[in-house]
Amino acid sequence: MTRLWPRSLFGRLALILFVGLAVAHGLTFWLVMQERGQTSWLMMMSYLAKDIATSVAILDRLPADERAAWLDRLERRNYSYAIGAKPDGAPADDATAQQVVQAVATALGPGYTVSATQATDGASLLRLHLALTDHTPLTITLSAPAMAISAWVFAVLALQLALLAAATWFAVRLATRPLAQLARASDRLGPALQGPLLPEDGPREVARAATAFNAMQRRIAGHLGERMRILAAVSHDLQTPITRMRLRAELLDSTELRDKLNADLDVMQTLVREGIAYARSAHGEAERPCRVDLDALLDSLACDYRDAGQTIRVRGRIDHPVLTRPQAVRRIVVNLLDNALKFARDVEIHIEQTPRDIIAVTVCDRGPGIDPAELAAVLQPFYRLDRSRNRDTGGTGLGLAIASELALLLGGRLTLANRDGGGLAARFTLPAFERNA
Amino acid sequence: MQRRDHILIVDDDREIRGLLTQYLEKNGCRATAVADGRQMRAALADGTVDMIVLDLMLQGEDGLALCRDLRAGASGSTPILILTARDEDTDRIVGLELGADDYVTKPFVARELLARIKAVLRRTRMLPPNLRAPTETSRLVVFGDWSLDTTQRHLIDATGTMVALSGAEYRLLRVFLDHAQRVLSRDQLLDLTQGREAEAFDRSIDLLVSRLRQRLRDDAREPQYIKTVRNEGYVFCAAVAPRGAPP
Repeated sequence: MTRLWPRSLFGRLALILFVGLAVAHGLTFWLVMQERGQTSWLMMMSYLAKDIATSVAILDRLPADERAAWLDRLERRNYSYAIGAKPDGAPADDATAQQVVQAVATALGPGYTVSATQATDGASLLRLHLALTDHTPLTITLSAPAMAISAWVFAVLALQLALLAAATWFAVRLATRPLAQLARASDRLGPALQGPLLPEDGPREVARAATAFNAMQRRIAGHLGERMRILAAVSHDLQTPITRMRLRAELLDSTELRDKLNADLDVMQTLVREGIAYARSAHGEAERPCRVDLDALLDSLACDYRDAGQTIRVRGRIDHPVLTRPQAVRRIVVNLLDNALKFARDVEIHIEQTPRDIIAVTVCDRGPGIDPAELAAVLQPFYRLDRSRNRDTGGTGLGLAIASELALLLGGRLTLANRDGGGLAARFTLPAFERNA
Repeated sequence: MQRRDHILIVDDDREIRGLLTQYLEKNGCRATAVADGRQMRAALADGTVDMIVLDLMLQGEDGLALCRDLRAGASGSTPILILTARDEDTDRIVGLELGADDYVTKPFVARELLARIKAVLRRTRMLPPNLRAPTETSRLVVFGDWSLDTTQRHLIDATGTMVALSGAEYRLLRVFLDHAQRVLSRDQLLDLTQGREAEAFDRSIDLLVSRLRQRLRDDAREPQYIKTVRNEGYVFCAAVAPRGAPP
């Protein structure tokens, strides 16, 4: 039973409506046929009784040896006469039989005794038994009036069912399409909730839901925006005191104290810079997309790292320009490379285009990797792996979060995975071609 | 006694003004600090200023407007160093296009600021006075099928596709563009790209040239842009023009 119950709302509504309407329709059809049967039965009854009375009168007046010849002539479409048969079936005492017996007895008048038995062959309805005046038994076999249904009736029935199916499909689609649109709109909401607003028209309930959805989108965007504004404002306003402290440190006579202060200020400054970068990345305050040679971008980045003495290799090419935001891509790759270089010496960048027109850039290292339970959490801002390992490396806890936000902004996503044989693979995707959204 | 450079600081934060003045005085400069554009003009009218350190975020008239004003006015040749707390690329680009000589983002390390101030002063003194004011620098330099964006430091090909350059590649290309049609020896290239402190081999220049050729999609056997001159070095052979003029 549960297997037949459709999973989709569309299926369920369609099933309920169609089955309900079809059953109701069938019932109507059945009632009409029943009614028609009854009418024709009543009409037949009044005719039948008189006809039987006439036939019995004829047979009664005929000489006994001529009666057999007349039986064929007296036969009608749904009843026939037989001479001499004895009652053999069980007595029929249902309402129909009583009705027939009553009607025939009335038409024959006094002097005849009519009884009914159930027919023994399947085709007939009833047998009537009576005795002619010379005591010859007469049996009349009645069959049910044939209900002729023309072929066109079935054609009309099929047409009606088809109409029902079409109307059901249309109505259900009307009801479920706004839901699908709502779901699509939710999916489309980007990291900064910059998706287009839903059209607030259509049937009243749908318009109401769309309005509520849009209001919610605006509210969430407002909250997110506020969060980012606070982060940006705090980070921004820290710049002036840091500048002052830097100058104060520079005026100190003690070199040792100055160097220590400067080291602390470096940490603060990095945090401020990353905080601003994170706020900006998540705020959708994006650069304009342009056509970019990604192969050259990755290669030039790797060259910069190599010139600084690091070991970075690039594998793979995509060989066509991509419409994307180069600064964002650069920032993601730099953050991933910096993260990888904290834990490993050899780092490899791998770029490929998947058959589904997605470009995937993977930064692989052979470092210690990340506990699988923490793979998703490290993309959260300010999340840090166990402190003992990370403190020396001076991470702000924002590098991967920024990369993740920017990847969303580019229409892709960043995922981390541990590699076979140890190490981490940080993979981000972006669409290879412009989407006609 | 040697004359001390007079630096005019324009910053709206009183503390920073005081500290910066103190720091510059301690390091052999004369420093005057003012809070806004009005006071800046008064200070300029008062005496000789060798350089202006201008904060972009000011009360009243903002730094970019002041910068444009200074370039157009009587103090047009005074070098300007921009201080900016917003490290957004657009500000930097606009600042440089308006004729600032350099910029430093806040929070800065005081020693770095001092080094930049000295570098700008040295650079402007080497030029004859009539060339001192930097003209509105052209952002795009066009050669062959390429344009070089000198603020974003990347190439743009004939189809408008951005082709990134590494730092070393950009510096080498700049040297070639600035010395087009002239044969440069490996030593000269090393000197011009990496400065004196670099201890590099001749081979590393060859490697860099081949990387740059690859970036420019230049065929080493039949080069369109960078030709090898046997036993001498390299020459950049394409015509170079700022944006707008036909190459």
